[in-house]
Amino acid sequence: MEKRIGVFICECGPNIKDAVNINEIERFVQSLDNVVLTRTFNLFCSEEGKRLIKDDIQKYHLTNIVIAACSPKEHEITFRKVLTEAGINPFFLQIANIREQCAWVVKDKKLATQKAGAIIAAAVRRIAFHEPLETKEIQCHSDVLVAGAGVAGISAALTLAQKNRKVYLIEKLPCIGGKVARYEKVFPDLECTSCMLDPLLDKVLHNEHIELLTFSEVQEVLGYYGNFVVKVKKKARFVDAGTCIGCGACFEVCPIEVENEYNEGLDSRKAIYIPYAGALPHVAVIDKKHCLHIQGKDCNACQNVCPFGSINYEETDQIQELKVGAIVLATGFDIFNPKSASQYGYGKIEDVYTSLEFERLLNSDGPSGGKLLLKNGRPPRRIAIVHCVGSRTKKYHEYCSGICCITSLKFAHLIKEQLPGTSVTEFYSDFCLPGKESQGFFNTIAEKKEVTFVQVKKLDSIEMVQKKGRISIQYKDICWKKKQSAFDLVVLSVALEAERDAKEVARIFGISQGKEGFFIEEHKNLAPVSTTAGGIFIAGCARGPKDIQSAVAEGQAAAGNILSKLLPGEKLSLEPMIAVVDEDLCSGCKTCVSLCPYKAITYKTPESPLTPLCKRGVEGDFKGGQGGFSGEKVKIAVINEVLCRGCGVCVASCPAGAIKARHFTDKQICAEIKGLLEVISEEPF
Amino acid sequence: MKNRFEPKIIAFLCNWCSYECADSTGKAQKEYPSNLRIVRVMCSGRVDPQFILEAFKEGASGVLILGCKPGECHYKEGNFNTLKKYILLKKVLQQFGIEQERVMLEWVSASEEDKFVRIVSEMVERVKKLGSIIPPNPPLAKGGRGDFV
Amino acid sequence: MVEKMEKPKIALYWCSSCGGCEESVLDLAGDILEIAEKIDIVFWPVAMDFKYKDIEMMGDGEITASLINGAIRTDDQEHMARLIRKKSRMVIAHGSCAHLGGAIGLANFYSKRDIFDRIYKKIPSVKNPRGILPKMKTERLLRNDIRQNTIDKSEGELGLPHFHERVKALSQVIDVDYYIPGCPPTPELIKNAILAILQKELPPKGSIFGEKRALCYTCSRIETKPDSVKIKKFRRVYEIKWDPTRCFLSQGIICLGIATRGGCGERCIKANMPCRGCFGPTDNVKDQGAKFLSALASIIDSNDERELKRIVDSIPDPAGLFYRYSLASSILKGKIENKP
Repeated sequence: MEKRIGVFICECGPNIKDAVNINEIERFVQSLDNVVLTRTFNLFCSEEGKRLIKDDIQKYHLTNIVIAACSPKEHEITFRKVLTEAGINPFFLQIANIREQCAWVVKDKKLATQKAGAIIAAAVRRIAFHEPLETKEIQCHSDVLVAGAGVAGISAALTLAQKNRKVYLIEKLPCIGGKVARYEKVFPDLECTSCMLDPLLDKVLHNEHIELLTFSEVQEVLGYYGNFVVKVKKKARFVDAGTCIGCGACFEVCPIEVENEYNEGLDSRKAIYIPYAGALPHVAVIDKKHCLHIQGKDCNACQNVCPFGSINYEETDQIQELKVGAIVLATGFDIFNPKSASQYGYGKIEDVYTSLEFERLLNSDGPSGGKLLLKNGRPPRRIAIVHCVGSRTKKYHEYCSGICCITSLKFAHLIKEQLPGTSVTEFYSDFCLPGKESQGFFNTIAEKKEVTFVQVKKLDSIEMVQKKGRISIQYKDICWKKKQSAFDLVVLSVALEAERDAKEVARIFGISQGKEGFFIEEHKNLAPVSTTAGGIFIAGCARGPKDIQSAVAEGQAAAGNILSKLLPGEKLSLEPMIAVVDEDLCSGCKTCVSLCPYKAITYKTPESPLTPLCKRGVEGDFKGGQGGFSGEKVKIAVINEVLCRGCGVCVASCPAGAIKARHFTDKQICAEIKGLLEVISEEPF
Repeated sequence: MKNRFEPKIIAFLCNWCSYECADSTGKAQKEYPSNLRIVRVMCSGRVDPQFILEAFKEGASGVLILGCKPGECHYKEGNFNTLKKYILLKKVLQQFGIEQERVMLEWVSASEEDKFVRIVSEMVERVKKLGSIIPPNPPLAKGGRGDFV
Repeated sequence: MVEKMEKPKIALYWCSSCGGCEESVLDLAGDILEIAEKIDIVFWPVAMDFKYKDIEMMGDGEITASLINGAIRTDDQEHMARLIRKKSRMVIAHGSCAHLGGAIGLANFYSKRDIFDRIYKKIPSVKNPRGILPKMKTERLLRNDIRQNTIDKSEGELGLPHFHERVKALSQVIDVDYYIPGCPPTPELIKNAILAILQKELPPKGSIFGEKRALCYTCSRIETKPDSVKIKKFRRVYEIKWDPTRCFLSQGIICLGIATRGGCGERCIKANMPCRGCFGPTDNVKDQGAKFLSALASIIDSNDERELKRIVDSIPDPAGLFYRYSLASSILKGKIENKP
């Protein structure tokens, strides 16, 4: 079809008009190929201006439009709409940015005129190669998978379920509630955790829209935004969750006793157990590794005693395949293991605890029923809390975990509440107390003068040794003075770190980890809960250390994102400016496959049959190269149009020129380069 | 009047950081040499080495590529891809007799207008000193391996 | 009287070439006899005694098809190419040098002066103390006179063709109808081209008698290539013991197959040598070297500038490697010159 290019030069009030010689530019533009109309106007983005363009398109049967005006970032969308209204494809538009790139930055009028001419020539040359693009839509599933049933995951699930959205909530442990469920009281109001959390957990357990899969792990994720297929392994619990009421008759008879990991190993449990008192769902589980029956020994103790016949030793792991449209990853965190920092004597000296262990010690459902006692059974008289263990040091984690200071203050408060006579000393180097509540909490404690705050010069300089049955903390104070002090019990306020399986989770879900191991958001400030993998969201401590309120907010934000973007029955609009593979040219060399940041490229046999070899008049007789393959079965690169964002890295890297970047094709860009180097008049530049 | 050599520099700017930066430089009305000619690409990783050769063939005296800073790429690692190509290309261009200073890769974020102005000004100065280049360009016969355009 | 069907007239000519393409015609072996029966070879200076005047005397368009191999370096070659073009209805660029400039085209990394200095002065085996360079016209003198240093008798002038500043591919000099790629082309390709001419089943003008896709499509090693090839160190074939069944690139050995038109039957790969790109770029690619560069750089396994430089430096002569066959027809076509 004949190209009829219209060039609209916007004066932008005085902005462009005064900076360049518009008449000279217009004369030059008229001399360019296929330009049938030039028009200058005071302000094309005005209603009148838009009407002018629309009328001209129709009157002069224009096919391609160049608008020389401000940056495309200002009004490209505005003018695309005008083209659509005038009945031509919106992608037959090219903006020549002669305001930001020329009128406003070149003060010499002659030079500005030259440059503006070149910018318009580039647009005119480029637009001759523009192709119409369509915005495609695809069908999608609206169900959502939430991985991790801690506070973030639960908040996401409940928010989604509120709008009747089907949610699969996957939890790798036998119980839900995450780490928070194991705390006694939580900041800022020192609210009782189970009073706060249990109603929420109950809601999850009884919500008809939430299908809870505890003791389950995601094994594989295929597909893309709107159309994920997720394989979940439901590990055998050997106890029927439908009939078990958690009466505990079975644990009493079980002969095996092992360390209880849910109480941080501070007490023991049986091979059939409920993780901790109050764990939800309140259903027993058999530890396959330690159960005598499952290990082939002759023991049926629990089965014999169960009043509901809930025990089933024959149960096997089940694989379930779920079809969902979006995924929320709320896989939480782990804590820094202070064993790797020997200076703290953790694991060697008795009565040195991590903050998580201390949470359990304080917890009324914990190993000591909430009573603070030393290993020797006596109550502690002097307790030290050491800040920043594993945090803010290049040796372990450079970042500040952000919540440990306030947790330490909470501990001080709880200790004082239980044992008013016990002294509490906090060793810190800096206090991190952001937000509207933290400083006030600190002030209240500080004003009471019941807690001693010791500022040390460098937390790395702390050394802990056992001395006369007590724990001696040696440190340098802010004047570099060596000091030491003895305590009965020490709490290490440890760093929060990425969950131990984070690497595997990142691999399975196709997302990235930052250098600290936490999952990376799409944009740190503007898209904090989405990831670069379309349809996969992150919430809570999986994204980085944070407090409960932020984790909950993120869970809800992720759910909100999904609720607003992925609507049941509604199709998903796809980005039209993406990369496409020319199936007749791709050799399947795989160069592009690993380059795609969105995993949009796969090496496979495309759905449409491939053209056989040698179309070029030498078919049939041609024997070279066919060494025993059939043209139909061969694999090439296939770009998933849902996942592609159109960055063009694969296009530039394809050694065979087989990938095209829509709206940024080689031809378009080279035409633009040619135009940019054009000279508007013979006069010296 | 003496005819001073005014080089033309083709600049490839990524849509998210560097093109945005050029726009904000314009909005701040910070002047920079008019020798710069900007091509917008979605990501600096889209810059095919062929484009750079094409620019030289068409008469550019220098090529500037601007991308987002490492770690800030809108497409995660597109800018690292650019860096890889750039390093290998520079080595190859040397064998083509194209001086190192004629092709530059820099990272700018959207707000670094002064840095942008500085990069452009310095580049133009350097290329002015180097002078123009003549690519050997025998006319193509019809039916030969054609131009893109 | 039944008029005898006239056989198609075929001419073969060589320009700047090594002679391998001529050999490739002979490699048709038994098939050559079958073909020879169906055609008239009217001009083939390498194989038979033809003189320039034989072709000069022919009418315009009298030859059905001419196969020209070799690149264009001298005005004599250019003159012959133009002459053959005039006399032929169809011209086929035969082999990498005619198609792309070929290995001959690598000379474009040097100026004419560099080349002459090297060949006639600097090569260690050359003794040329007076620094004499070939001239286009030389007076021919009697031997005796030279010895006696009395130059007074001349036998007339000897002429040498003008040596162009640059090597050109055939299509940069004349209009070319088809291309048979390869260094040298496979006998199958030549046979197919000739059969296509005989059967008048010709593809659109400008076509290249080869595969549309790059080599990897038919390479027997493709399945051994992992989805993500990441190269930390480039290796040359003598440096390692390489697995003869695995993809070269996945072993860190540079193979241009990803950026090279297929259709060669992977002769090199089957001989356990990596591809060097003689079939030239695929259709959408203008510059084979740049495209290969782009792909190769993309799979280097580092994001660190210093390490990248170190890895890249482990490729000796990257331009010579990436442009081995296509320099003369690449975007820049050779070394750039600065304006004085």
